[in-house]
Amino acid sequence: MSNQKKRNFQIEAFKHRVVVDPKYAEKTWKILEHAIHEIYNHNASGLSFEELYRNAYNMVLHKFGEKLYSGLVTTMTAHLKEISKSIEAAQGDLFLEELNRKWNDHNKALQMIRDILMYMDRTYIPNSRKTPVYELGLNLWRDNIIHSGKIQSRLLSTLLELVHRERTGEVIDRGLMRNTIKMLMDLGSSVYQDDFEKPFLEAEIRLNEEIERIAHYLDVKSEAKITNVVEKEMIANHMTRLVHMENSGLVNMLLDDKYEDLGRMYNLFKRVPNGLSMIRDVMTSHLRETGKQLVTDAESSKDPVEFVQRLLDERDKYDKIICQAFSNAKTFQNALNSSFEYFINLNSRSPEFISLFVDDKLRKGLKGVSEEDVEIILDKVMMLFRYLQEKDVFEKYYKQHLAKRLLSGKTVSDDAERSLIVKLKTECGYQFTSKLEGMFTDMKTSQDTMQGFYANHLELAEGPTLVVQVLTTGSWPTQPTITCNLPTEMAALCEKFRSHYLGTHTGRRLSWQTNMGTADIKATFGKGQKHELNVSTYQMCVLMLFNNADRLSYKEIEQATEIPASDLKRCLQSMACVKGKNVLRKEPMSKDIGTDDAFFVNDKFTSKFYKVKIGTVVAQKESEPEKLETRQRVEEDRKPQIEAAIVRIMKSRRVLDHNNVIAEVTKQLQSRFLANPTEIKKRIESLIEREFLERDSDDRKLYRYLA
Amino acid sequence: MWEPLVFDRWIPKILSWYVCTPKVQSHMLVISWHMQASTMCEYTKEEFCNGLRDLRVDTLEVFREKLTSIREELKDEEKYRKIYNFAFGWATEKGEKAMQLETAFDMWQLLFAERKYPLLDHWIQFLQVTTFASFGKFGQFSIGSYCVVMPLPLEQTQHNRPVSKDVWFQLLEFFKQVQKGLAGYDAEGAWPCLIDEFVEYLEENGIHPSEYAT
Repeated sequence: MSNQKKRNFQIEAFKHRVVVDPKYAEKTWKILEHAIHEIYNHNASGLSFEELYRNAYNMVLHKFGEKLYSGLVTTMTAHLKEISKSIEAAQGDLFLEELNRKWNDHNKALQMIRDILMYMDRTYIPNSRKTPVYELGLNLWRDNIIHSGKIQSRLLSTLLELVHRERTGEVIDRGLMRNTIKMLMDLGSSVYQDDFEKPFLEAEIRLNEEIERIAHYLDVKSEAKITNVVEKEMIANHMTRLVHMENSGLVNMLLDDKYEDLGRMYNLFKRVPNGLSMIRDVMTSHLRETGKQLVTDAESSKDPVEFVQRLLDERDKYDKIICQAFSNAKTFQNALNSSFEYFINLNSRSPEFISLFVDDKLRKGLKGVSEEDVEIILDKVMMLFRYLQEKDVFEKYYKQHLAKRLLSGKTVSDDAERSLIVKLKTECGYQFTSKLEGMFTDMKTSQDTMQGFYANHLELAEGPTLVVQVLTTGSWPTQPTITCNLPTEMAALCEKFRSHYLGTHTGRRLSWQTNMGTADIKATFGKGQKHELNVSTYQMCVLMLFNNADRLSYKEIEQATEIPASDLKRCLQSMACVKGKNVLRKEPMSKDIGTDDAFFVNDKFTSKFYKVKIGTVVAQKESEPEKLETRQRVEEDRKPQIEAAIVRIMKSRRVLDHNNVIAEVTKQLQSRFLANPTEIKKRIESLIEREFLERDSDDRKLYRYLA
Repeated sequence: MWEPLVFDRWIPKILSWYVCTPKVQSHMLVISWHMQASTMCEYTKEEFCNGLRDLRVDTLEVFREKLTSIREELKDEEKYRKIYNFAFGWATEKGEKAMQLETAFDMWQLLFAERKYPLLDHWIQFLQVTTFASFGKFGQFSIGSYCVVMPLPLEQTQHNRPVSKDVWFQLLEFFKQVQKGLAGYDAEGAWPCLIDEFVEYLEENGIHPSEYAT
């Protein structure tokens, strides 16, 4: 950078004297004044902006600013006075229109004038502290028009009247109204406040006073009518349309989880009577419809776990909607609950599926899930359980599934199992769960028993290990079955256990449920492949036979084991016909077991696993005949419960009429199942026949309790 | 007042009248009602004597006259009801709580003979049809909101069973109520299930009230 010294240049003004025509100012102003007239008369097209601007510029430059300014005020005022007269002359409704039109004219004119006088606006006005042209124009409008005696009061009353008219349901020109209000705002917020807002608010106050007056000495209904006019106009009349709008109505909002839109609708509709119930009704019928589809869809019934998961998802979705958009209103929650109750019970398999869902979770689904999360899942299941009408059916399945879990040692978490039992107990009372709890007790006691057995028979440490689970009759879903023939070494062991057990528990009877057991056996195949096979007790019995024989016919096996035919076939099928599990080989090769088949050990058996599980006992959806059988058992179990309820009620009431008996019995049993009125009636008849009850001799609808 | 002697002497006579008079059965029933006899065709001495006292019968001649006029008593609505209800215990086998169907059919024919309840024939037909059809029939019963179709074991079909006292008593009430058509029947009206099923049977078979209105 150079250190050269900067030189300052100065440009001198070009000095020459301009001779000014003494009439110059007057002449120039005349031109400008004429232009302003032309502008107001809509004749501006013939004017030259450049010429006018130059004239105004020159006037200011030659120190005639004051003359220009005062001339403008005078001219504009004169025009506004004319305008004022024409507005005053406007009749009725035309008043506001005329005012508005003139205001628009004035505004346009004002803009043109400001442009022409721009130089004055920039130099003369700030220096002499005068009001800028545009503002001046507005002030003049205010003083000459808005505040003119005849216009001011008329404008106010017109505006307030229009507001009132709209409130009472008439249609008004809102554009006109808006323009006028905007005008007042443009004139300065003080104008708006003084000329409109204050009186307007006073009107509000009056209106409120009016309402108060109504409240004091008129019929209350009138008040509601008046205040509802606006709400009705704005919301109620459009409600139905809003709700049912295609592609954007309530149903679509629900489908797409539009929490904000739903919330907005909720808050708006809250203001009018029936507004919320309309939303609720639409939600309910939509929910019922989709729920019904969900539970009756044959596809979704195929996978019980998926079926329940979908129900839970649906429930979560609506929980969230009600929580986020419908301010968690109780009535909406009730609607949600009643909808679920409605459709869950449309599918008679819901109790079975919910139990299967729990089974799935407690077998594997909860592995590695934290304790709190387990609780959350179980609570959700309980919520579905609460909707079930046939809780006894659930209990039946739950018992079956729990038994399988316990006996196969497949339960993931003992805590989770017990937690659910506690929940069921809280919900339905101890009777509901006493048998389930009995099953847990049996498991624990059996452990102790086995320890005691082996402590007393130390010589048994060598040889096969026996694990016996002693199940209390009645607590478990057991069926009387024929005990099959056990391999001799096992039979001897069982006999030892029997004498040990009966030695410590006199007066009991033991029967072996060989259909429910499992066994782990070590097997060595043809080329020395060693595997550990996890099989059922039946399968063990069959396999052990091959220690002493290379070939066995179906009939030989049947004779040796005495396993019931259907079970034997299933058991052979799982060992001889399933790829990867085929530890046996059969002749002829086929998928089904025939009574003339012959069986061999499959010397070529291979598996990439050392431990091979054959024929797992996993709870599955019941087949149709099984389902019917369970249903029949449920029906039979209900009969004594219904009779007990009738007797309880009649014992305390002594005399009660038919319909009340039905109602009370239904109510009493509702926590377990929904009693069928015809069935109740049959039970009543049976009790009459057995002389627990009689009909009143005069009123045949009245029953009496016979002590 | 009445000696056991009288009883012994009168009974053979009375029995002979019972057998030879054409309409003897309804006389027998009404007389038995007066005697409050516990079993059909059997009177204890006590029942017999109390009955005669009740009927104000002191000679065999009076008794015979009574036999011809006693049927009139069946026209009295209140008495008829009492006799109808009495008939159940009277005609039911000793030691049984319900009446065998065949006996019930006979008793209804007898009791309703002059009443002309047009539903009687349908009722008997209904019981007969369902009795024979109940073997292997697929019953339908609904539980809650769905329906299961399954074969019903025989003992589950009401119809094959003897007529219970309740059904017997209620049937008369039912016939009276529906005399002018089924409007008199209320499904919620605590009727025995068998009667409910009978109404269903009528409706299924298109038997309309107008056709059996007298």
